[in-house]
Formats: sequence, C-alpha cells, structure tokens
Amino acid sequence: MSTASESQLGNLLELITSRLQRGDDVDPFIEQAAEDQGDVADLVAIIQSLHTSLTPVIPDQEYAENLRADLLEGRPGVAGRVRQMPARLSVAAILAVFAGCLLLMLRRIFGSETTPDVPEEAVATPL
Amino acid sequence: MKNPFSRRINYAELDEGQLVALAKEDRAAFGELYQRYLPKIYSYVYYRTGNVHDAEDLTAKVFFRALSHISNYVERGVPFQAWLYRIAHNLVANWHRDQGRRKIIALDEYVAHSLTSDAPDRLAEEQEERNQLLEAVRRLPEDRQQLLLLKFVEQMSNAEIGVIMGRTEGAIKSLYHRTLLALREEIGAIQKGDLKQWSDGKEG
Repeated sequence: MSTASESQLGNLLELITSRLQRGDDVDPFIEQAAEDQGDVADLVAIIQSLHTSLTPVIPDQEYAENLRADLLEGRPGVAGRVRQMPARLSVAAILAVFAGCLLLMLRRIFGSETTPDVPEEAVATPL
Repeated sequence: MKNPFSRRINYAELDEGQLVALAKEDRAAFGELYQRYLPKIYSYVYYRTGNVHDAEDLTAKVFFRALSHISNYVERGVPFQAWLYRIAHNLVANWHRDQGRRKIIALDEYVAHSLTSDAPDRLAEEQEERNQLLEAVRRLPEDRQQLLLLKFVEQMSNAEIGVIMGRTEGAIKSLYHRTLLALREEIGAIQKGDLKQWSDGKEG
C-alpha cells in the first residue's frame, strides 16, 4: 500500500471512529470506502465492535465511598476497621481485646505475689 | 494541613487547576478530584487487568500515590488527568510484570450483565465475539491497549491521548491505524485457534 493511500485510509478510519462516537450515521462512508478499498470493511467492523464493547465501567458504590473516606481521613486505624466490621464481628473483636487486657492485668497482679519456680539444677551456687 | 476555609468552598465549582493547587494542602479538594476522575481511572484499570478485584486494588493505589505525591506535582504541560493516567499506566505495567504473564481473563461481570436479556442465543454469540475482541485487545502491546481504551472508553481526541502518552497528535493517528491492523491479525489468530481447538476436539 502506498503512503498516500495509507494516509487516506488512516483519515477514513479516524473519520468513521469519530462519527460513531458522536452517534452519526457511518453507512454512507462505509459503502464508499468498500468501493474504494476492499479491505476496509473488516477494519470498520472492528471499530464498530470496539465502540460497542469498550464502554465505561462504574465502580461499586460502597467501594468508591470507602476509598474516598480512606483518602480523606487517612487509612483507618484499628478502631476504624473495627467500626467498619459487621456488628457481630465488632462486638466479638471488642470482647477479645477486653479479655486480653483483663488477662494481662490478672497476670500482673497475681504473678508478682508468687516467685517463679526455678529448678534446683539451674541455680548456680559458687563452690 | 486542613484548609480553615474549606467549609466555605464549593469544590464542585472549581476548575482542575484551582483544585490541584488547593489539594496540595486540603484533602477535601483532593476528594473532589477523586470524585471527578475515579470512574475514568477505574474503567482504564478494569480493562487493563480484566477483573474487579485487581481493578479495585490498583485504583486505590493510584489515588493513594497521587495523594502522597500531589505536593510535588507541577503542571508542566501535563494536565492532572494525564498525570493520573500515567500513574495508573505504571502501576498496571508493574502488576503485569508481577503476574509473570499476561492475564487473559474473560470480563465475567460484563458477560453476566450482557446475558440478562431475553435473546440468549444471539446474545451468547455476540458475547463470544466480544470476548474474542477483548482477548485480542489484551494481546496487543501496552501502548496500543492504552490508546484503544482512551479512545473508546474515554472518548478522547488524538490530541488529548497524545498529551497522556507523551506523543504528537500525528503519531497517535498513525498508531491508531497500525493498532487496528494488528488487532485484525490478532482476532484472525484467535478465531483460527478456536477453530483448531474445535476440530481437535471433534477428532479426539
């Protein structure tokens, strides 16, 4: 294909693409193109398929809102993540944290009153 | 730092330049930029990755990266939108590299959405053709995929695409023509492959 006809074909494909995107009728151009250059019909068919297949995709609304909140408030910390959980899970998480704290406190209180058992062999006595 | 006057500003009325200038110190202004560009960036990433999960993950990364670098952003002939697309392009490229191979995945939600109509045979056939087309698009080099998505999904002009891709308008026009020719080859190869698979299955 010569450079001139290549450029002509390029212009035609551009024209058809922009008319399709504007919602204008492209049939007269396709018929004319098919008479002038035989192999243009399948390229036009590809353009039409691209036009109908590549359409905008909308993100899930909940995802969009959560991402916006994360961006505006900074990433949520532990408390934020617990708040975002379903009610049952957040109650379970709060109880688990509370139980953990309680356990640590009890260990500290009762653990300090009793000295740990040290095995006799482990106590080094100078001779 | 939060803008003390942020409650009085109607961000929706501001143009992109004003918003970007404010967004360097005001997160609410960044929020408005996010609202404006989320659908575009999400669509772009979705078609490049082929699935919702990675599209959501990468889109979030694009905006977090933009937020952390916006204080360094200076408009030197590259509009904010183009800057966002470049971040998205780089992250998608890294994602493909990390995958180790090109993912060829059917856009499942897209399929499900299209098959809800009342002419299942015709629609299934159309869907098959659409899947072949999308598979062929994903087999193209990255710059050609980017061109097609910006042209068809975002309906951008060659000049706008040129700004994002760092090329001249003429170069984009020429690349578009070559991309269509390459796409025709890819579709032919996929159809031949399908035919071979079908005949192999019949013989086996």
